[in-house]
Amino acid sequence: MKLVLLFALLGLGTGALIAGIALGVVLTYRGSGIINLATGAVAMVAGYAFWSLKTGFFGFQLGTLPALAITLVVATGVGALMEVGAFRPLRTASPLAKLAASLGILLTAQAAMLLGFGTTVKAAPPILPSSAVAVVGLTVPVDRFILAGAVIVIAVGLAALYRWSRFGLATRAASENEVAAMLVGLSPNQLSMVNTLLASLVAGLMGVLAASLVQLNSTTLPLQIVPALAAALFARFTSFGIACAAGLLIGIAQSLMYYASTQSWFPTDQGNPLPGIQQLLVFLIIIIAMFWRGASLPGRGELVERRLPSVPLPERLLRSAVIAGVVCVVALIVFPYDFRQALITSLIGAIIVMSFVVITGYVGQISVVQLALSGVAGFTLSHLVTDAGIGFPLGPIIAVAVTTLLGVLVAVSALRVRGVSLAVVTLAAALAMEQFIFVNSTWGGGSGGSPAPSPHLFGVNLGPTASFRGLDGDQPSAVFGFLVLAVTLALGVYVANLRRTSLGRRMIAVRANERAAAAAGVHVRNVKLIAFGLSSFVAGVAGTLYAYNFGSISATRFSALTALGLIAFAYIGGITMVSGAVLAGLISTEALFPHAFDKWFGISGNWALLVGGLALIITLRVHPEGIAGANYQRKQRRRAAGRGSRLKAWSSRWRAEEPTATSEVKP
Amino acid sequence: MTGGERRILHTDGVSVSFGGVRALVDVDLDVHESQLVGLIGPNGAGKTTFIDAITGFVRCRGHIELDGHDLSSLPPHARAQLGLARTWQSIELFDDLTVRENLAVASHRQSVWAAVRETVSRPLASTTAMDETLALLGLEPLAEVLAIELSQANRKLVGVARALAAGPRLLCLDEPAAGLDSRERAELGRRLRSVVDAGTPTLLVDHDMGLVLSVCDHVVVLDFGKVIAHGPPSAVRRDSKVITAYLGSAAAELTDPSLESADEESRAGASEEP
Amino acid sequence: MKDILRIDGLTAGYDGAAVVRDLDLTVDAGEVVALLGPNGAGKTTTLRAISGIVRPMGGRLTFDGADLTTVSPSERARRGIAHVPEDRGIFFGLTVAEHFRLCHRGERLDERTAYEYFPLLRELRTRRVGLLSGGEQQMLAVGRALARRPRLLLLDELTLGLAPVIVERLLPVVRRYALDSGCGVLLVEQQIQLALEVVDRGYVLSRGEIVLHRPIEELRADRRLLIASYLGETRTREAEDDAAASG
Repeated sequence: MKLVLLFALLGLGTGALIAGIALGVVLTYRGSGIINLATGAVAMVAGYAFWSLKTGFFGFQLGTLPALAITLVVATGVGALMEVGAFRPLRTASPLAKLAASLGILLTAQAAMLLGFGTTVKAAPPILPSSAVAVVGLTVPVDRFILAGAVIVIAVGLAALYRWSRFGLATRAASENEVAAMLVGLSPNQLSMVNTLLASLVAGLMGVLAASLVQLNSTTLPLQIVPALAAALFARFTSFGIACAAGLLIGIAQSLMYYASTQSWFPTDQGNPLPGIQQLLVFLIIIIAMFWRGASLPGRGELVERRLPSVPLPERLLRSAVIAGVVCVVALIVFPYDFRQALITSLIGAIIVMSFVVITGYVGQISVVQLALSGVAGFTLSHLVTDAGIGFPLGPIIAVAVTTLLGVLVAVSALRVRGVSLAVVTLAAALAMEQFIFVNSTWGGGSGGSPAPSPHLFGVNLGPTASFRGLDGDQPSAVFGFLVLAVTLALGVYVANLRRTSLGRRMIAVRANERAAAAAGVHVRNVKLIAFGLSSFVAGVAGTLYAYNFGSISATRFSALTALGLIAFAYIGGITMVSGAVLAGLISTEALFPHAFDKWFGISGNWALLVGGLALIITLRVHPEGIAGANYQRKQRRRAAGRGSRLKAWSSRWRAEEPTATSEVKP
Repeated sequence: MTGGERRILHTDGVSVSFGGVRALVDVDLDVHESQLVGLIGPNGAGKTTFIDAITGFVRCRGHIELDGHDLSSLPPHARAQLGLARTWQSIELFDDLTVRENLAVASHRQSVWAAVRETVSRPLASTTAMDETLALLGLEPLAEVLAIELSQANRKLVGVARALAAGPRLLCLDEPAAGLDSRERAELGRRLRSVVDAGTPTLLVDHDMGLVLSVCDHVVVLDFGKVIAHGPPSAVRRDSKVITAYLGSAAAELTDPSLESADEESRAGASEEP
Repeated sequence: MKDILRIDGLTAGYDGAAVVRDLDLTVDAGEVVALLGPNGAGKTTTLRAISGIVRPMGGRLTFDGADLTTVSPSERARRGIAHVPEDRGIFFGLTVAEHFRLCHRGERLDERTAYEYFPLLRELRTRRVGLLSGGEQQMLAVGRALARRPRLLLLDELTLGLAPVIVERLLPVVRRYALDSGCGVLLVEQQIQLALEVVDRGYVLSRGEIVLHRPIEELRADRRLLIASYLGETRTREAEDDAAASG
């Protein structure tokens, strides 16, 4: 029993970090109505900044106080950059666009840290006293209490600031009704800026303080945003007190879970305690929070002007498919092995992005869980072969069917959740699936991955090890490339054609306006379910191909961060078009473009992520339709001349009718 | 007047409350075959709420019948499929679809199997019904234009066309004339008349008394959620309760003698219409 | 008298669709002007264009001699335009007293004036606005606007949904304030009778265009004009009048 208490107290450390990030999330939301996914990334940047200043990474060492001071300036600077570079230009954009922008910031910050500091985990220099205190007979490190105390003081301070200061009053007013706030002379831009700066300051400070406990890790730190979002959901993105308390409690719960996992009764996975319990816990907490506090976020009477990216009709579909097919066949034969591999990876990437085209582009729902569904397909395929001996083609068919079913199940449970909330809950689900299922060595691939032997059909090897290997004779085989290509083309034509069908039109009707769609006789729920099913089907196909591609399958390929990156690439390519998906596939991680840059110019893949994050923000600001959409519109404009003259002729006909019209109606 | 003809919409005691506020109180309203019925009233009288109630977008008490079918417990899309079409005050077109596609969304009848088969079906072929609707509203030249590129007046017309494309038994229009200039309103009024004459009974909600009184066969006036007057436009125009509702009580006292002549004129004007 | 607000050829609306077309209007200091007309005529849009929430598509707004085209809504508010919108523009989560502390840097609200015109507010100071009655909320909305010592007061449907007793009190207060302070007032009102009792001039807007502009005496004397304009017949009538005037 004493140990339970001890672990509960130890959990205050992580809890303080989660609470700090949650406070930042609440601050930004109240100041500008943006759910800032990058708040955890700010804590990470601050942690790294402090580490490098203290350890002499830049060639000089500073004392704790000056280093802390500079770090906080850096954190505030990051906040100012976010505000000026992303949030302010997107003030009138849809909430989803704002969320995507914060995703761009997260990716940029993460890639920057990877580039600057590498992947090795850094032990942050201790900043808090390392002594321990005795609490009811337990020895507890004093830093846990200091951390918890600090975040509580900050929460109380913020609450007081909002309660009594002129600035707090103004923010409360503006977050309730932005238009009315403008009418009384308040500037929403200024308020948003100050709140974002405050949020960065709080997240940065907690990042520095807590980093010594949780270690500096550019993969896990930014993802602390997920438990922080759970805490913020409990606070309805409004109350600092609740956000702080919920954050601390989540930290404690996670620590207790860790304690439980050391017990003999805890379920094990091949001798080790079951992994991913903490992520699963956070996911469940988010579900509970949404049920309890409601799935929709408090509105703020703001002016939303900009619309969603348009969904143009595909043109000359078969011609484009044939040309792309011929080009790829030649490339698969001619390319050296590494470029061949990159091309195959690009094609699979294009398929997974097509699943975003269906669900996000056509139906307007951001679902982060699609890549995890791919993972389910991949692992199912692998386990069918290794555990049940079911191979090609039955194995992938079952795997894809299972995935589609799972996707529909996810959709059924998420039907009432839409927009930004859906993105939040699916992000938590993606993280939970990654850690709980994929990392598990029985269900998933464990640390070493799970094998996926090459597919054979009638004794012919269709996998990367097949004997026909292109001109240079190295693996992977061009035959596997042809298989992937065939699947990509078929799905591409299918998804693009979907836009022309009645189902596609109903999807876009649902995206534009659920109410109006229902009034036009569209069964909104069915359309969403079908869309989720189709999207999961496409994702599942991609997952099986991923499995065959590398002969084995591991959790890292389907991580939540990778999923966020793919969404970014999808936006950049053009999330509403299949051509955009192909572009996204080409620029995604390990695909053709990054590979070429790496090979020819020595620019590593992390640069691609960094550029990707920035490009996402720029895309959202300048051209929400992405590259493919921009291209399409240029063509349209060239064609517009002819149609313009026809329209003019018609409107003059209207004008000619005018006198009769008037005389008929006017008494 | 046309009471002998078939009753398309029949509502009986439709009431809606929001919290403690009673937005609609026992509204009885009938629309008959080939009738254009106007529903008017001052701000907040409950006109839009009434359309929301019969189309299923707000919960209400009372009985709603469309062409003999009881709609009271059906969800919105099911009511739409039974032939109840509506437009919205803020025109809610599907911006990324062309005019023709907007119409196609509405004209589609669906089953689960059809939906699955749909996923591999051929691109949209234009149907004669759709072409007729476009022609009726004079929209043929705009069929392939994206909704987002249309002018306000044309967006309004496409909203009406989309509602019509489903071949509805009853068309409910919520403020189709808002934001149009007088020429466009006149044009809209003419088009609406032809829609009704072509066989679709219509319930028209609009602020523009001029429009409603000049094109409708029958007018119902709401105030504070209650029907305060109904009848042919000429009678409603003269009704002192209506004038009170719109202009305040003192105005009504002044009206009767002075407006009498004006009314004669307008009735004379109305009777010229075919 | 000098005009505090001058509108020349204003065209404004939403999503590229004009709701108000080519509108000319002036408000002088100390003057109360009514903007009347049937629902959907564009009255609210006109007020919103003046305070800057709606960006005009054409025309020119001059406030106190300065062009407003490039001035943000917050800056317009700071220069002395107080707009009480239809939804009252108050904040349900704040208390009455907090509303009087809600201001931009360097501004001090004149709480005393508000309490002077609406003594009831003083007793409600610690009350959360969400708990006030409709009439009390409206007093707060107007009181807050007065506390900012506006040069121009825009009032949108002040009396909407209020009990007659309160309605009868509100508008005379506005009238008195305009006289006392020299503030120009432009009010949109459905209760025409009440409006006619307090205003100096009236514009009637129909279908986004001004169809009638008369001094108050004429409007009071010939209500037929007004009623006709509400029933959608003004155009012809006005045209006849104009023809008569010119001929």
